[in-house]
Amino acid sequence: MEEEEEDRLSNDELMDDWLIESIKLYNNLHAFELQDPTKVIEWTGEKSICVAGFKSGGRSEILELTLPQKLCAKEDQGLCPERDFKMEHGGFSERPIYCLKHVQGTRLLVSSGPPDNSLQIWQIGVDDSDVIRLLNCINNEEQNNHWSKIATSAAGSPCVLHGTHVKNLQVTEIESTKNVFLPGIASVDLVSSLEFLSKDAFLLCSVRGQMWLMDMRQQKVVAAQDVCALPAEDFYWCMGVERRQPDLDAVPCRVAKLSSTGYIFVSDVRNLAKHMCQTKVSIPSPVAENKFMNVSWAPALDNNIAVSGFSGSIEIYNITSWHSTDTEACPMFVHKGHTVLEDRDKGEIPLVTAHTWHPWKPRTVLSAATDGSLQVWEWR
Amino acid sequence: MPEIKVTPLGAGQDVGRSCILVSIGGKNVMLDCGMHMGFNDDRRFPDFSYITQNGRLTEFLDCVIVSHFHLDHCGALPYMSEMVGYDGPIYMTHPTKAICPILLEDFRKITVDKKGETNFFTSQMIKDCMKKVTAVNLHQTVQVDDELEIKAYYAGHVLGAAMFQIKVGAESVVYTGDYNMTPDRHLGAAWIDKCRPDIVISESTYATTIRDSKRCRERDFLKKVHETVERGGKVLIPVFALGRAQELCILLETFWERMNLKAPIYFSTGLTEKANHYYKLFITWTNQKIRKTFVQRNMFEFKHIKPFDRSYTDNPGPMVVFATPGMLHAGQSLQIFKKWAGNDKNMVILPGYCVQGTVGYKILNGQRKLEMEGRNTLEVKMQVEYMSFSAHADAKGIMQLIRMAEPRNVLLVHGEAKKMEFLKQKIEQEFSVNCYMPANGETTTITTNPNIPVDISLSLLKRESVPGALPDPKKPRIMHGTLIMKDNSLRLVSSEQALKELGLVEHHLRFTCRVHIQDPHSEQDTLNKIYSHLKTVLKDSSIQHLPDGTLMVESILIKVSTASEDPSTKILLVSWTYQDEELGSYLSTLLRKGLPSS
Repeated sequence: MEEEEEDRLSNDELMDDWLIESIKLYNNLHAFELQDPTKVIEWTGEKSICVAGFKSGGRSEILELTLPQKLCAKEDQGLCPERDFKMEHGGFSERPIYCLKHVQGTRLLVSSGPPDNSLQIWQIGVDDSDVIRLLNCINNEEQNNHWSKIATSAAGSPCVLHGTHVKNLQVTEIESTKNVFLPGIASVDLVSSLEFLSKDAFLLCSVRGQMWLMDMRQQKVVAAQDVCALPAEDFYWCMGVERRQPDLDAVPCRVAKLSSTGYIFVSDVRNLAKHMCQTKVSIPSPVAENKFMNVSWAPALDNNIAVSGFSGSIEIYNITSWHSTDTEACPMFVHKGHTVLEDRDKGEIPLVTAHTWHPWKPRTVLSAATDGSLQVWEWR
Repeated sequence: MPEIKVTPLGAGQDVGRSCILVSIGGKNVMLDCGMHMGFNDDRRFPDFSYITQNGRLTEFLDCVIVSHFHLDHCGALPYMSEMVGYDGPIYMTHPTKAICPILLEDFRKITVDKKGETNFFTSQMIKDCMKKVTAVNLHQTVQVDDELEIKAYYAGHVLGAAMFQIKVGAESVVYTGDYNMTPDRHLGAAWIDKCRPDIVISESTYATTIRDSKRCRERDFLKKVHETVERGGKVLIPVFALGRAQELCILLETFWERMNLKAPIYFSTGLTEKANHYYKLFITWTNQKIRKTFVQRNMFEFKHIKPFDRSYTDNPGPMVVFATPGMLHAGQSLQIFKKWAGNDKNMVILPGYCVQGTVGYKILNGQRKLEMEGRNTLEVKMQVEYMSFSAHADAKGIMQLIRMAEPRNVLLVHGEAKKMEFLKQKIEQEFSVNCYMPANGETTTITTNPNIPVDISLSLLKRESVPGALPDPKKPRIMHGTLIMKDNSLRLVSSEQALKELGLVEHHLRFTCRVHIQDPHSEQDTLNKIYSHLKTVLKDSSIQHLPDGTLMVESILIKVSTASEDPSTKILLVSWTYQDEELGSYLSTLLRKGLPSS
């Protein structure tokens, strides 16, 4: 008991040290503990996010949380004492949630996860209650036991682009569950990331780093990027598309592609064949699969990219400082909160599972880790 | 089936005050008696008309329990006891009893003197109310009367805050009040044993909140203080004498030490005396760390924090001052505020709720121009920060508490079941309990299934137990006995013993049935045949020939006679007592089948 107490005290001191350091590093810092870790943080409104459990064997919860008042206040932030998240809605899922997307302008969510590639459609707040209810299931024409990647579009009638492999991608109308478009791209690679760029165009990235820009009106691939000519290793790739505030509807211009060994390539979506710039970022070790790999663009800053999934920290880069893949890029800022702040039993250092940028507050990021922590931080 | 009824008083959805009525085992208990700080009229008081339409509450309540000194839990107590009328016992912990009257008096002064209210309790009423209070210790079982007992548990949250267990016989309820599950710098975490109450009553807001860590709140405080001091500004922190002030002082001291800062930190003298006094009295209520340091030194003896003198207010340069009172409504903190408000380099940090009518309340609502006495206007240019340091449990914490206590049911107040379907399901499934969420003014009736312990007489136990077999709770057996309820004892004894104790003679009930069988032999032969037959069938029973020609099987008598109309028909008279019903009816059925032809 004495030893335990001592350990707790010295752990406290280490935390105190980091917190005092953090006063210089952060404007704002909030740390929360969810009951179950999440690998999704999805915005469902200006002030709300959804998180969901992904444990296998047993139910997972989907929760819609409203942001603390203090984070939403545009003026007089000092007069807001509220620093807590509020659980507004919740639902139970029989399967773990690996991917969760909100359909903008609606109260619908689309999720996917093992054991198969079907999608689950949810409605938030049925009958003015706090329930997130399962409405429907959408099956892929080609059923298999991988989990689907998802992108949603609300332009016109809400649709979802989904699939496990490039060749089985389909665009399905949510209400009718009818397919409205089949890209029919002949590649057997697994899909890594999907994103709608506009009502009619979407970008897709395979796990091998190949990208296609598809125009649904013209019904053809209008731009493509090949697999990178890099030393042969088992790379996994994912992508992040830039969306500029305030005009979220404008066609985004750039896409960043991240590999499991830390390479990042940036291209203009209108000219995918070329790389605009590239670099290699320092990572503790390559990850075996792209389970938590994440790269994203800051909506309220210029040229800022966040990278996570390789360790317990999140790195922010400014791409204008990149030269080539020969020299490792230096992050502008590293958030270590997940490795320091939790009162956990000694043992594993948590891995960051997800991160997302605040839609309009510059330099503000929300991140989650395998120990159930959820942090909101704004660096100086 | 016995029931427990719970009714949160109040109306609609409002959360501002706590006052819950519980009816258990024929007793009525009021849990907390809070004031709603958002209203200026009668809505701020709980609606006691639920208990009785008019008149005093004394005969309707067995006791009142107050969980801690926050006004939304005790603010209406003097109103209830002195203006509505209640003379029964009021229970709270020792620190609560010491601190309540101070807060109530402050609150009264502000409301009456500053706002000129008339329908409010007086100072004398507060004193009279506190005379009715009995202080309790942690984990001490207090007998309210012969049947009702209560016990307080540590709740953390603020000094003296407690969770209460209310027990009548085998039924019990645990009321959490406000509590928190993570220890902070001066208080420990809530704790309760696996008392398995029928119901745990707690706040629904806890279950729907995910709280920012204590450390991040502290960080924010330190950052604000540091920034102000760095730019040469002054920081005013109005505090109530206890708890929070202590904690913030410890925090600043640690920070100043680490960062090697030189700016002076002061606390006003009123603070030290009172605080030291209370801490000495209630040292057992603080956490381990504080207790260790207290043994070595005085509570308010800090390296970097010194007592304040009025003259320092005008000193140039940065400084931090903790001053009372906490809502800037009078005294030293208000005086300092008036001097520092005009400078935008300065900052005031309000660490708690401010009552309407106070300067604290006004500036927290964004007012930048204040009217002072003598029609002077004060322009507030200094930065105003509202920081909440209150330690409350959250969704994770409430799950921990439920896991600790293992209740059969959970009841959350200040929520509404129709709107909280997910939360209800979540709790029900996680703990296999029923979860109730009454709206304010709504009564929830929960059926309980209490175990009633009964003494069993040794002889009855011996008679009824199966030799060599242990009782199995999954396989209940029916036993026969008599339950005697006398005075406060419940005893299970054999019927004979009961009759003996009561001085009654047992009635005997005898059944006789006639069985006709065909047998041309003599009556004696028939009797012998019956004897042999039964001997074969009933190997273990005693079968005897009685001298008068009757056959006795155990205690059952069988007589043979010949039918008058037909000599080959024999009439068997089978007679048995009520106690031997089973064997008796078995024999009559057996004999009806006829005798084996030998």
